[in-house]
Amino acid sequence: MLLLQYHNLLIQSILTERFSPDNQPVSIDQVISDFDNVTYHISTPESKTKILISLSIKCFNDLQKYGVEELLRQEYGPYIVSPPETGYDFSMVIDLDQLPPEIDAKEALIEKIALLKRNALAAPFEKAFAQFDELSAEAAKNSLDLSVPEDSGADVMAIHYRDEESIFIKASHDRVTVIFSTVFREETDRVFGKVFLQEFVDARRRAIQNAPQVLYSHKEPPLEIRSVPGLNASDDIGFVTFVLFPRHITRDRRDNCISHIQIFRDYFHYHIKCSKAYMHSRMRFRVADFLKVLNRAKPEVAEKERKTASGRRFGTR
Amino acid sequence: MSHLTTPAVVMDNGTGLTKLGFAGNDSPSFIFPTVIATRQASGSGSGRPPPTSKPAFLGSTPSGGHLSQKRGTEDLDFFIGDEALSAASGPGYGLNYPIRHGQIENWDHMERFWENSIFKYLRCEPEDHYFLLTEPPLNPPENRELTAEIMFESFNCAGMYIAVQAVLALAASWTSSKVQDRSLTGTVIDSGDGVTHVIPVAEGYVIASAIKNIPIAGRDITYFVQSLLRDRNEPDSSLRTAEKIKEEFCYVCPDIVKEFNRFDREPERLQKYLVDQGLGKKVSVDVGYERFLAPEIFFNPEIASSDFLTPLPEVVDTVIQTSPIDVRRGLYKNIVLSGGSTMFRDFGRRLQRDIKHLVDARIHRSEELSGARSGGVDVQVISHKKQRNAVWFGGSLLAQTAEFRSYCHTKKDYDEYGPGIVRNFSLFNVP
Repeated sequence: MLLLQYHNLLIQSILTERFSPDNQPVSIDQVISDFDNVTYHISTPESKTKILISLSIKCFNDLQKYGVEELLRQEYGPYIVSPPETGYDFSMVIDLDQLPPEIDAKEALIEKIALLKRNALAAPFEKAFAQFDELSAEAAKNSLDLSVPEDSGADVMAIHYRDEESIFIKASHDRVTVIFSTVFREETDRVFGKVFLQEFVDARRRAIQNAPQVLYSHKEPPLEIRSVPGLNASDDIGFVTFVLFPRHITRDRRDNCISHIQIFRDYFHYHIKCSKAYMHSRMRFRVADFLKVLNRAKPEVAEKERKTASGRRFGTR
Repeated sequence: MSHLTTPAVVMDNGTGLTKLGFAGNDSPSFIFPTVIATRQASGSGSGRPPPTSKPAFLGSTPSGGHLSQKRGTEDLDFFIGDEALSAASGPGYGLNYPIRHGQIENWDHMERFWENSIFKYLRCEPEDHYFLLTEPPLNPPENRELTAEIMFESFNCAGMYIAVQAVLALAASWTSSKVQDRSLTGTVIDSGDGVTHVIPVAEGYVIASAIKNIPIAGRDITYFVQSLLRDRNEPDSSLRTAEKIKEEFCYVCPDIVKEFNRFDREPERLQKYLVDQGLGKKVSVDVGYERFLAPEIFFNPEIASSDFLTPLPEVVDTVIQTSPIDVRRGLYKNIVLSGGSTMFRDFGRRLQRDIKHLVDARIHRSEELSGARSGGVDVQVISHKKQRNAVWFGGSLLAQTAEFRSYCHTKKDYDEYGPGIVRNFSLFNVP
């Protein structure tokens, strides 16, 4: 498995099972976790045919500033329950008796719900892309030179999606900049991470010319977010900057782009862990090899002449 | 720290099936076979690789395509669980079973199995979660250490607890209404697909010297049903049909002779099972005496096997009798069932009756010999609704308690003391 999936497999499998007409409705009460401090709760509080799906996401306050509610209303409009279940940020109810009859429509609905986290996190990106559209239109009107980067008036959007890590998004007329702050709690991880990030930076130079530009800086926050308050510049913090150019965020690529970029941190950490697992398997192999050598190496037994107590030798036969 | 609110992850890796889920839920989120399909160098296709003869900690090397000779992303080219089974039916992939007889044999495969379970199926960042893993009784402490190395060094998980499966099964029985005091003393009868264990547990500690294994379990019952179907020349006697019949129709009867007579008197007890053979072809299979005969092999093993002849109640009695004398009363009072093969209707009742007979006979004899009166011994077999995944459920139950985290060893402890730390875990205090 090279890439992580964007949807939540468990939600998908639960709903697929429940939506199938052959299955009797049963009561569900499951807590499900997802990356980046996301918790889902799937339950059937009222009756067995009404499935309540709630989402709790750590950075919901941040997302609210960037129009998450509107986006979710667009996606899940008729299913939304307000106010949400206590302790959760967003809830919706699916009534099994009122499902669309066609299989395709059902599958689309399942897919949409399984992507709940992705859609919630997509709000600031959507907003940034909208800002980008505005700014670039304005720039075109004023016939600014598009190749000259210019500081735009757009604010930096900060999403504190983990305790120590955040995403910063900034739109300007010729680009959208996405900056991840990363913290490694482990020394080994930091080393692996550095190698990986270097690869990201180099990838553009070597093979994939169309890839977004990636910059990595250690300790120093990039210029774009210097002004953001509350940046804790400690020793072990690093900043990964993705520069998305207009060709990456054309209308038909936007959705894909958002999916890719918001799973970046998890993808990154997943691969650090995979490489460690790979290293371990090589180590085990090597140890097994050495053990083989050790087992072969036996001290030589020197042939000693054996005598009886009276000093006579054994004759050879 | 963010992991104060995230639910703990409960992983029960068994020989046959792996149960994954989050603490607090009443059933595992994922149940799939513990199998990993990796790319085979010589496209020999599916099929088990020959069992390795090396000690477990050396890690076995599948012939030809070992990872350490690879330089690309081959280490990510694998599937686990049901996907592995479907991948292996095509060319290029071979199946590997990293766990044998309950113990992890191939750590390379297990590490990648966990990697995929965590990131693909559970979708959680291990740094944010505590983990509860299970181990079989008599698991060597080295295996615990290797598990800890993987969990802490590869995955940096926040904290970990390794629990003995039997103890978790005891904890799961607390949901039964018959259990009044939540003690961790009792006898666990754990019957899965491959083997049946009888494990005495005293106050959370497994009495290792008294554990007994019985080579009769789910698979043997299925084979027995199949042989009966074949004897009668039924139109479909595949293993799958036998398994379905076992699961849907079988029950435990109080007395075979009477049951035979009842079947002869009441022909409606003979039932029919409709097998869908695919392509719209359906055949009907008669279901007869195997309904009560199949589970009977626990109580009268001689009807199915010729090399193992001790009935289950007798084994349970022996196990308790070989345990220290001061816990025997507790062990008789709390006999807990766990695993799919204990799900037959009235299994618990029959077992309780038979054990009671054995115990009463012994008390009677000693009364005769000594002349003293005995107060009698309470025998109670507890069956409950969560029996099938009792181990996982027990884990979920314990891992959702507020105290769970204080029993775990954390990443910090591990860094400080090294893998030896997991040789000891403090037991759960009963709330």
